[in-house]
Amino acid sequence: MKLEIGNFHVTDVQFGSETKFSNGLLTIDKEAAIAYLRGEDEHITDLDLVIARPGDDTRICPVKEAVEPRVRPDGRTLFPGVTGEVCPAGQGRVHALKGCSVLAVGKHWGSFGDGLIDMGGEGAKYTLFSQLINVCMVMDTDEEFERYEQQKKNHAIRWAAHRLAEFIGQAVKDLEPEDVDVFDFTPVTQREKNGLPNVVLVMQPQSQMEELGYNDLLYGWDMNKYLPSFVSPTEVLDGAIISGSFMPCSSKWCTYDFQNFPTIRELMAEDGKSFNFIGVIMSNLNVALDQKERAAVMVSNMALNLGADGAIVTEEGYGNPDADYVRCIVALEDVGVKVVGISNECTGRDGRSQPLVTLDEKCNALVSTGNVSELIELPPCTTVIGELQALARDGLSGGWAGDEILGPSVRPDGSIIMENNSMFCGDQIAGWSPKTMLEF
Amino acid sequence: MKIIHYINQFFAGIGGEEQADQAPFIKAELIGPAVALNAMVKPNGGEVTHTIVCGDNFMGSHTDEAVETILGFLADKEFDLFVAGPAFQAGRYGFACGTICKAVHAKYGVPVLTSMHVENPGVEMFHKDMPIFIGGKSAAKMRSDVTLIANYINKDLTGQPHTGAVDEKFFPRGVRHQAWPAGEKIAARRGVEMLIKKLKGEPYQTELVIPAKDLVPIAPAIKDLSKARIALCTTGGIVPVDNPDHIQSASATRWGRYDVSGMDRLESGVFKTIHAGFDPAAANADPNVIVPLDAMRAYEKEGKFGSLHPYFYSTVGTGTTEAEARRMALEIIPLLKQDNVNAIIMTST
Repeated sequence: MKLEIGNFHVTDVQFGSETKFSNGLLTIDKEAAIAYLRGEDEHITDLDLVIARPGDDTRICPVKEAVEPRVRPDGRTLFPGVTGEVCPAGQGRVHALKGCSVLAVGKHWGSFGDGLIDMGGEGAKYTLFSQLINVCMVMDTDEEFERYEQQKKNHAIRWAAHRLAEFIGQAVKDLEPEDVDVFDFTPVTQREKNGLPNVVLVMQPQSQMEELGYNDLLYGWDMNKYLPSFVSPTEVLDGAIISGSFMPCSSKWCTYDFQNFPTIRELMAEDGKSFNFIGVIMSNLNVALDQKERAAVMVSNMALNLGADGAIVTEEGYGNPDADYVRCIVALEDVGVKVVGISNECTGRDGRSQPLVTLDEKCNALVSTGNVSELIELPPCTTVIGELQALARDGLSGGWAGDEILGPSVRPDGSIIMENNSMFCGDQIAGWSPKTMLEF
Repeated sequence: MKIIHYINQFFAGIGGEEQADQAPFIKAELIGPAVALNAMVKPNGGEVTHTIVCGDNFMGSHTDEAVETILGFLADKEFDLFVAGPAFQAGRYGFACGTICKAVHAKYGVPVLTSMHVENPGVEMFHKDMPIFIGGKSAAKMRSDVTLIANYINKDLTGQPHTGAVDEKFFPRGVRHQAWPAGEKIAARRGVEMLIKKLKGEPYQTELVIPAKDLVPIAPAIKDLSKARIALCTTGGIVPVDNPDHIQSASATRWGRYDVSGMDRLESGVFKTIHAGFDPAAANADPNVIVPLDAMRAYEKEGKFGSLHPYFYSTVGTGTTEAEARRMALEIIPLLKQDNVNAIIMTST
């Protein structure tokens, strides 16, 4: 499979009378965008677009999803099974607006898996998204059944974010990209023997909600009802998979992460040089022990049958999912596949707790991307996009309404105290993370 | 920043073994290593204001008295940091430094620092309680050992972030925090480079060393269940619907116990789960699926076991740290013992 991502580098975004891209300036016809999104989903009751730029003294919360604006010149839908009919992904041409993202932001209501982004100041270092120009889609809906639920499917707002990403992408549908990233994935049986070891990437996206509608989707398919499969790395980069609405936010892979998955990019860059990158085993995360075991067995057998010598295993989550993560690493090591794991840790606010919920000494090569329970205190920002009180009120994984010692997460002056858990995709497990874990 | 420095009789210049019974005293002057430390932190605004001296034998054989006396010396002093040693390879001095640092931290909450050689038994005893800098074997290393302590303090004085046990050269305490080391590559690159080395059989450094297992031995089985008193505990977050103990939905630090005497089952609408880590629908419809009171009452009537403890105990497991879980268990256990509970059924989700 050969995927070409044509890049258009965005240096600024503004609203105007027409959605277009010229000399780095992305202009969005806000009224047309809003009319389009409302026309696609009757559940939208309130919708506005706001631009947040790197360095702004702006705090965004509750953030539910991030998507890179893209479009396919050949007219195929951007997210098969989500924004349109199921169709092949991973092959052909897609055009991407780089340096910006569409953020799905609740106008009022947050949920367990939502996050916070500071565009400037000391809070900016906690998420990748402070470095991007964000088109914030601030929305309310009539999804009353989950209005006061801690777990929300956030269907209307998440789908709107994917649609808006494609709507904005139309600006570059017929333009010539500034540069093109080519990802050429040679079929496994058509590779020349070069004596290099074979490496697979095992991905464990979040799929632990047994009720459908909260989990990551592969070609629109809920990954709770799913068994490990072999996919091309180009499919992941090309919209075959979208993020869900469940995991504590710092451990999440948003759709932007899937579209740009740095671990895939690094593996592709080494393909044919240090090793042969022979594909992605797309697994999932499960609830019951037999489900975890079944996935680990199928992953390790698939690796064995593909002739893998090495693997990177990475999980979208922490806590219970660590059991799937550690089990999968051990299952691979047991069949002779050398594994490196990439995940975050949960060592507690004092740093003294066991870092993963299960441990096994066979996990001897681990990359650590952050501590979910690190306590973070930040001063007020002059501008808030969304509703900051959601962090305290709505059961976000890293916020609280009150605490005997720490007080509420959101203080009257707009300053906050929270756990890293609610930093938007803060542990950057997809591979962006410049953080590690150290003994102090 | 004001610092108080603890040293033994030898480094106070009083004498060696023959003076090791010296009772503790405090002086508003700099003695021995305190002079060097003060000189190193002074340019950044640090100041050692007092030196405390105590004989190693006195600390070893009259520990409680020595600690109490020294804590008393500190009661009316203004200080922000407490330093002891360096103790080098001297075992009794290491014990003294660790003991007094731990006590001062517990009572006054200030950071405490010391230094020992790796073979000093004090390292094993106290490395989890405070930064113990990796020191030399003997006083010949005085200057470099004090320098490590001073470097650490100077970071605080100049507002620089700490860079971790390996970089700052103290024994790891089992305290792990996230950090942004200068020049760190992104995680994806680190992972790929680690894999290349592992595949080649070259040495690499894992970022998370899996510690030796800390397993609790399984208790012996109950011989005669018909006389056993059994309690129900859960990390599934089942609480009365108004959650009277305000147990958090994730990363819990609180627990509650709820009286179920006279109840045959937990009714929906009376109890619910506040756990945020799973789909609550089934548990809210029937809380017995997490705290199986209905089944336990049936068994109790059948005489399968002796009797059920009148309360169940509940907290939330998701995101809850091992340390908090251990603390909550230690708070719950006495209540179970008081009622002669022989066994618990622990349900998780």
